[in-house]
Amino acid sequence: MQSLTGNYYFPQSSESKQATVSVVSDTVSVHYDGECAFVIAKEAMKLSSSIPGVATEIDFEDGGRFIASDAKQRLTISSARLEGFEKNKPLIFASVFLVPFCLWFILAVGMPYIANKSVALVPQSVSNQMGEQSFDVIHELFLSPSELPQVTQDKVIAQWDDAVATLALSDNKYNLFVYKSDYLGPNAFALPNGTVVITDALIEKLEDKPDAILAVLLHEIGHVERQHSLRLVAQSVSNTLAIAVIFGDVESLGEVILGTGSVLVMNAFSREMESEADDYALEKLVMLGKSPTAFSDAMKVFLSLKSQHEESDLLQYLSTHPEVKDRIKKAQEYGLFVDEQ
Amino acid sequence: MDVIDTPDLPPENNEQQSLEPSTPAAPPYRKVPVVFSGDGKEFFGIWIVNVLLTIVTLGIYSAWAKVRTQQYFYGNLKIEGHPFSYLAQPLQILKGRVLAVILFAAYSLTSHFYPLWGLAVIGVLLFLFPWILNQSLRFNLRMSSHRNVRFSFKGTYGEAFVYFILLPVASVFTLYLMLPFAFKKMDEYVYNNISYGDKPLKSELRGGEYYETSLWVFLVGIGFMFGMFAIALIFGATSAIGDVGSSEGMASLMMIAMGVFYVLLISVSTAIYRGRIRNHILNNSEFDGLVQTRSDVKIWPYTKLILTNVVLMIVTVGFAYPWIKVRTTRFLAQATMVLIDNEADGAVDKMQESQSAFGEEAADVFDMDIALT
Repeated sequence: MQSLTGNYYFPQSSESKQATVSVVSDTVSVHYDGECAFVIAKEAMKLSSSIPGVATEIDFEDGGRFIASDAKQRLTISSARLEGFEKNKPLIFASVFLVPFCLWFILAVGMPYIANKSVALVPQSVSNQMGEQSFDVIHELFLSPSELPQVTQDKVIAQWDDAVATLALSDNKYNLFVYKSDYLGPNAFALPNGTVVITDALIEKLEDKPDAILAVLLHEIGHVERQHSLRLVAQSVSNTLAIAVIFGDVESLGEVILGTGSVLVMNAFSREMESEADDYALEKLVMLGKSPTAFSDAMKVFLSLKSQHEESDLLQYLSTHPEVKDRIKKAQEYGLFVDEQ
Repeated sequence: MDVIDTPDLPPENNEQQSLEPSTPAAPPYRKVPVVFSGDGKEFFGIWIVNVLLTIVTLGIYSAWAKVRTQQYFYGNLKIEGHPFSYLAQPLQILKGRVLAVILFAAYSLTSHFYPLWGLAVIGVLLFLFPWILNQSLRFNLRMSSHRNVRFSFKGTYGEAFVYFILLPVASVFTLYLMLPFAFKKMDEYVYNNISYGDKPLKSELRGGEYYETSLWVFLVGIGFMFGMFAIALIFGATSAIGDVGSSEGMASLMMIAMGVFYVLLISVSTAIYRGRIRNHILNNSEFDGLVQTRSDVKIWPYTKLILTNVVLMIVTVGFAYPWIKVRTTRFLAQATMVLIDNEADGAVDKMQESQSAFGEEAADVFDMDIALT
């Protein structure tokens, strides 16, 4: 159609008239009150991009404006490509499958890849700062001085020093600290600058199994060596950004759904990193001449802590760590494999 | 399409007719509905295709997607057959998004990598927030027009800082007793700085309404807490009798019951707060001598709307989003009326000369909506 009916709004006012806009080759004429009001060149008006269900709007150079009354009316000179996409049933149908697939690909494949690559570019000084500052915060909030006898502490630290030396790790990078923490319970954690903390409660649980303590600490070193905290940060920031940019304002409700999806992806990523650290610990245990079963001994402590509530298949997607039983099994199989050699 | 009837003919421009011309004391104004003619199915196509294009273009298209979505909702919202228009250009939106992405990345990377400096960054953001808020309100209102007359916003940094930063912080020290007052001041600030062309909006809000509404929300919250407590007790008692095997099933059943309760609580309190406050604001606002606004959101239907939205979103894993956005807009439009003064000459757009939609926008580098949404 080369003419539209609707309302013409005068420049700078809310006054309007029922009008017709006609396009003939390169000129546009506007009619109202039964006569031609003005004629202009096509270049002196700006046509809105067509959107399904939205009436065509025209801006005139002098500030006047025309809005068609019927959303179905279009001028043939309107750009209709995007509207064509938005009304294209096969494309809409395909999008229903393509969008979740692309989203999965971005969050589960693309972003981890980018995170991995970009983390390699982060200078060591950033890791050091991150480690030191995080340590200050955690120390302030959750840690208190160890209450274990000095002998016990020294034993753990001596064993650690030996291992660090034997594995030819930089000993001015890796430092072990023993702290009491009611909040963390029996636990150990590592910071990106190589600071490793083990709690009193965990040492007590594993007191008669020094190799198991070593296994846990090697697991933590594995996290540092593979730059896991940096990768997690890089990925969670980029995922949040990607979702915000793709979906814009989805309001609170959509956020919950997208948030759940992104938590599931992040948890999968976290479980993967735990496995990586497990592999690291098993490999180094063998290098140190210890049995990989030391690792399963350590895991059994966590198993006994957890046995109150069995993990169901569904719950495992909500977990940030691989299932303890699987980790024990892996350590034992690793042992068999090594023994056979 | 179960929409309220949209006039098929071009709207009449002879606006001197009143609703009841026969009655001798005809009101000096005409009461007209606000009509939303959007359609869920139609918007679904727009939405899903735009999301796909955004992904394919690595996010760049999101600015175009935002403009098209806004234009869909504005263009389908009509008063006396005259639609609203959204005038922003995609490139302006893109500019704002790039800045927002940089700000967000800087903030989250700092707070992760340097937790101690992160605190300093939060401090900086507190001071930046009022500016961003004003910027965003100014942009969004200036990009909104009705009958070729633009809206505008003229709030100042100082006021925004007092109402959006100082008052909420102060209310923490009053056991949040000052919070409803703070909310009232925020709304007053936003609404009283809006103009339609040369007609400023005047909103006379009452603190009492905010306190009463907050009290209702608080009471509903308490009521639900007792309800959840009762559920926990019932389940606790039953699982104590039952054997160990069934207690796990019980636990997950209880989790579900709690979840349902929580969703109910959120829906009811959202409906009460948003519904009542919206009614209060719109029933007490007037574009100086031109238009009075009216809102009559009923709490129970609004609660049902929010609840069904939640259920739809969960059941469809988010695919119902376009539909619920359309039905929510329609619900709110149906609850809205405007009283237009029959004597008024309409509004005059003073800004238009300097800022025609034609481009070479007044070269303010920050002429954009700094938001990811």
